[in-house]
Amino acid sequence: MRAFAFASAISLALAGAAEAAPRRVVSLNLCTDELLLMLGDPAQIVSVTHLAQQPVETRLWREARRYRRNDGSLVSVAGLRPDLVLTMGGGARDRTRIAERLGMRVLDLPYPGSLADIEQAVREVSTALGRERAGGAVLARIGRLKRARPGRQVDTIWLGGGGRTVAASGLAAQWMALAGLRQRAVAGDRVSLEQLLVRPPAVILRSDYRQGQYSSEQRWLSHPLARRVRGARTIATDGRAWTCMGPALTDEIERLRGALNVIPARAGTQENQVSKRRTSAFLGPGLRRDDG
Amino acid sequence: MRAVTRLLLLALAMLAAFAASLLLPLPPLAALLGADRSLAFALLWELRLPRAALALAYGAMLGASGAAIQGLFANPLASPDLTGTTSGAALGAVVTAYLLGFSAPLALALGAVGGALGALLLLLALAGPRAETATLLLAGLAISALAGALTTLALALAPSPFAFYDAYEWLMGSLVDRSLEQAAFAAAPALVAILLLLRLARPLDSLTLGEEVAQSFGHDVRRLRVEIVCLTAFGVGACVAICGAIGFVGLVAPIFARRLTGGHPGRAILPAALIGGVLLLAADLVVRAAPLGRTLPIGVVTALLGAPFFLWLVAHMRWRLGR
Amino acid sequence: MTTLLKAEGIALAGRLHPTDFAMEAPELTCLVGPNGSGKTSLLHALARIGWPAGEVRIDGLRPESLPPARRSRLLSYLPASRDIAWPLTALDLVRLGAGADEADEAMAALDLTSWADRRVDRLSTGERSRVLIARALAPRPRLLLLDEPVANLDPLWQLRLMERLREAVAQGQGAVVAMHDLDLAARYADRLVLIDAGAIVAEGAPEAMLGSERLQGVFGIERVEGEWRPLSSPPRRGGEAG
Repeated sequence: MRAFAFASAISLALAGAAEAAPRRVVSLNLCTDELLLMLGDPAQIVSVTHLAQQPVETRLWREARRYRRNDGSLVSVAGLRPDLVLTMGGGARDRTRIAERLGMRVLDLPYPGSLADIEQAVREVSTALGRERAGGAVLARIGRLKRARPGRQVDTIWLGGGGRTVAASGLAAQWMALAGLRQRAVAGDRVSLEQLLVRPPAVILRSDYRQGQYSSEQRWLSHPLARRVRGARTIATDGRAWTCMGPALTDEIERLRGALNVIPARAGTQENQVSKRRTSAFLGPGLRRDDG
Repeated sequence: MRAVTRLLLLALAMLAAFAASLLLPLPPLAALLGADRSLAFALLWELRLPRAALALAYGAMLGASGAAIQGLFANPLASPDLTGTTSGAALGAVVTAYLLGFSAPLALALGAVGGALGALLLLLALAGPRAETATLLLAGLAISALAGALTTLALALAPSPFAFYDAYEWLMGSLVDRSLEQAAFAAAPALVAILLLLRLARPLDSLTLGEEVAQSFGHDVRRLRVEIVCLTAFGVGACVAICGAIGFVGLVAPIFARRLTGGHPGRAILPAALIGGVLLLAADLVVRAAPLGRTLPIGVVTALLGAPFFLWLVAHMRWRLGR
Repeated sequence: MTTLLKAEGIALAGRLHPTDFAMEAPELTCLVGPNGSGKTSLLHALARIGWPAGEVRIDGLRPESLPPARRSRLLSYLPASRDIAWPLTALDLVRLGAGADEADEAMAALDLTSWADRRVDRLSTGERSRVLIARALAPRPRLLLLDEPVANLDPLWQLRLMERLREAVAQGQGAVVAMHDLDLAARYADRLVLIDAGAIVAEGAPEAMLGSERLQGVFGIERVEGEWRPLSSPPRRGGEAG
C-alpha cells in the first residue's frame, strides 16, 4: 500500500509537470475530504463524502456542503466524470483498478501512522491538485510546530468515549508532543476509572466528540470519576479533528500549546506532590507514582 | 406446469433481473450516454457488470449449497448461514486479511474456504449427520456464535482503527466497487461448485427415503457428505472472500425451489440456484434504490426480507414426520 | 439358471457374525428372531448397506458393480423405520424407486391410486407404510429385502401384502422378509430362518420350525393348545452360532 502510494506520488509528480491541474476532483474518504477541502481550489472540487458534511464529524462541514455528496463508493461518483479520485483504505473494494480503467487518475493514500506520513500526504495531495503553494503553507505551519516543540512534556492521557485513549507511540501522541503533552502508555489503549483515580496524570485531554449524544461511551465519560479527575487538569479538545489526525489538527495543537503555557511549571508540580502523598498513604510505601 | 418449463421461466427471470441490474438506475446512465459515450460503456463494463455478475454468482451459490445442505441434513432449516458456514468463512477471511492485507485475493479466498470448511466439519462433529432440527440449530448457533466472537476479537485487535472500519463494512456483505477480476475470482469457483453439486441431485433425492435406502440404491452416503461439505466450503468461501457474508438467501431460495419440485431436495438444486440469483439481484436493486446518503449493506436487506420469512417458516413447520 | 441369491461370509461388525446365505430359486423366506437378534443386520448385509464384509451375488452379479439404475432391478430394500424426510406426494415417492409405469402399477397393486397426489405427511401411518412398500416393489427386482413390512398395517392389508408377496415369488422374484408375527410368517413362507445374537441358528420348513425346541428356546415362548405362551420353565438361551 505504502509502496503504491509512493509510486503513484512519483508518477503524479512527473506527470504534473506536463499536465494541467485536475479540474474535477472527488474524495471518497473523510480524511481525504479534509485534505481536499484544506488544500484544493473550490473550483476544482466536485464531490466529498456525506460524512464531511456533518457538523458532528468535521470542523470543515460548512465548506463541504458547497459540493455534491457521495457515499464513499466509486460507483456513486463515476457519473460525475472526475479526473482525480482521492481514496484511503477501502478493504476489499478494488476502486483503484476500476477507476484507472475508467480513465480517472487515482491517488490512494495509506493510513497514516506518523507525522511524517501526514506531511507526505499533504505533499502528495497538493502536488496532485496542482496546489503546491497551499500545501507548502500547511507544511510550514506543521514545521513551525515541530521546531517549537516544548522541551518539557507533561504527563497526559487522551480520553475518549468509553475510556478509549491513544497509543503512546502513535500518530495522536506525536501531535500531542508538539503541544508539550506526553501521552502516557496505557495497556490496551483503554484507561479504567480506577487508573484515573489511583494514578491521575497531570493533564487529561478530553475529547468532546459526540458529546451530548446518548451512548454507553458518553455515559462512561459522565461518570463522576471521569468528569473530574482529582489531581489532574482537564482540558477539552475538539474530538472531530482527532478522527483523521490530519493537518486539520494544527489549529487545535496551537490552541493547546497556548493553554498549557498558561500553567506555571511549579504549580503543576505542586499538584503532583499533593496527590502523590495521598496516593502513597493509600497504597503504602512500596508503590510510587510516575513523575509528571 | 412441466419441470422444464418451470426451469426455463426461472432462467428467464434471472436474465431479466440481471439486465435490470445492469441498466437501472436508468437516468444517470442515459444522461452519461449523451454526454460521454465511452465513459458510459466503461461504467457499464467496469462497475455495473461485476456487481451484477457477483450478485448472480453469489446468490446462485448460496441457493445451490443451501439446497444441498438441506437435502443432506434432511432439514429445511439448514443453510450456509444457519450452520455457521458463512460466519466461519468471514472469520477465515478477516484473519487472513489482517495477516496478509485485503488485496491478496488468493490468500483471502483460501482463508475463507478454510474457515467455511472448519465450520462445516465442526457442525458434523457436533450435530452428527442426521441430527434433529433442535440439535442442528443449536450446533449451528454455537458455531456462528464462536465464529462471531472470534471475528469480534479480531476486530478488537485490528492493526489500526481504519482497518476496523474496512473489516466491518465487509462483514456486512457488499457488492460495491468490485472489479471484473474480483467478480471472476468469485464466480468461477461458484460455477464449478454449482455444476458439481448438480451431479449429486440424484443421490440427494434418494436420501428422502433415509440413508439405508440410499445406500441400497448404491449411493455412497459418506462420500456424498464429504463432497457436499467440500463443494459448499469451496464455492461459498470464494464468494465470501470477495463480498463478505450475506445471509438468508441460502435459507430461503431452496425452500421456494422445493415448492416447485414437489419436495424433492436434489432436483431443487438447480431451481434454488436460479432463485438465489434472482433474490440477490433483487436485493442489490433495493440497495441501489434506497434513498439514503450512504450505501446500505446488502446483508441488511437480505436479513430484513429473510428474517420475517424465517419466522413464518419456523411457525409453520408442522409437516415434520414424527419429530 | 443361476442361483438367485448366494451370499458368502457376509458380516457386519458387532451385529452379524460371518454368515452364508443362499436362495436357489425364487421363494419367500421369513427371518424371525427376538429384538436385536440381527434380522435387520442380515438384511443390511444382503443389501450392501453399512459396508459389510463378504460377497453377495444375485443372479451371479455383484450389486456393487452395477450403476443405481440397474442395481434397482437386482435388489430393493425396505427399512423398518417409516421415516420420510420430505413431504413428497405418494406418486413422487413411489417414483423414486422406478419409472412412471411401474410406479403406477405398484400403486394400483396396493390400492393407492386414489391417493397418488396426496402428500405423504398427510397420510395415516398405515397408508404411508403402503406407499413405502409400493416404492420397494415398483422396480420388480430379483430380490426383495423387506424389514417388518406388515408393521403398521391393519389385518386386511397384512394378509393382502403377504399374498402380494407370494404372487411376486410366483413371477420369479425372491423375497427375504424380517417379521415378528410367527403365525403370519409360517402361513405364507416357504422357509423360516431363525436368528439369534447375530447368527443364524436354525432354518427349515415353517411348521417344523414353529414346533422346534430351538425356536421356543430362543424366544422364550411355547405353543400350547394352538396359542403362544411364555415358557413355564426358563429357556436355554444362546444356541451355537449358525
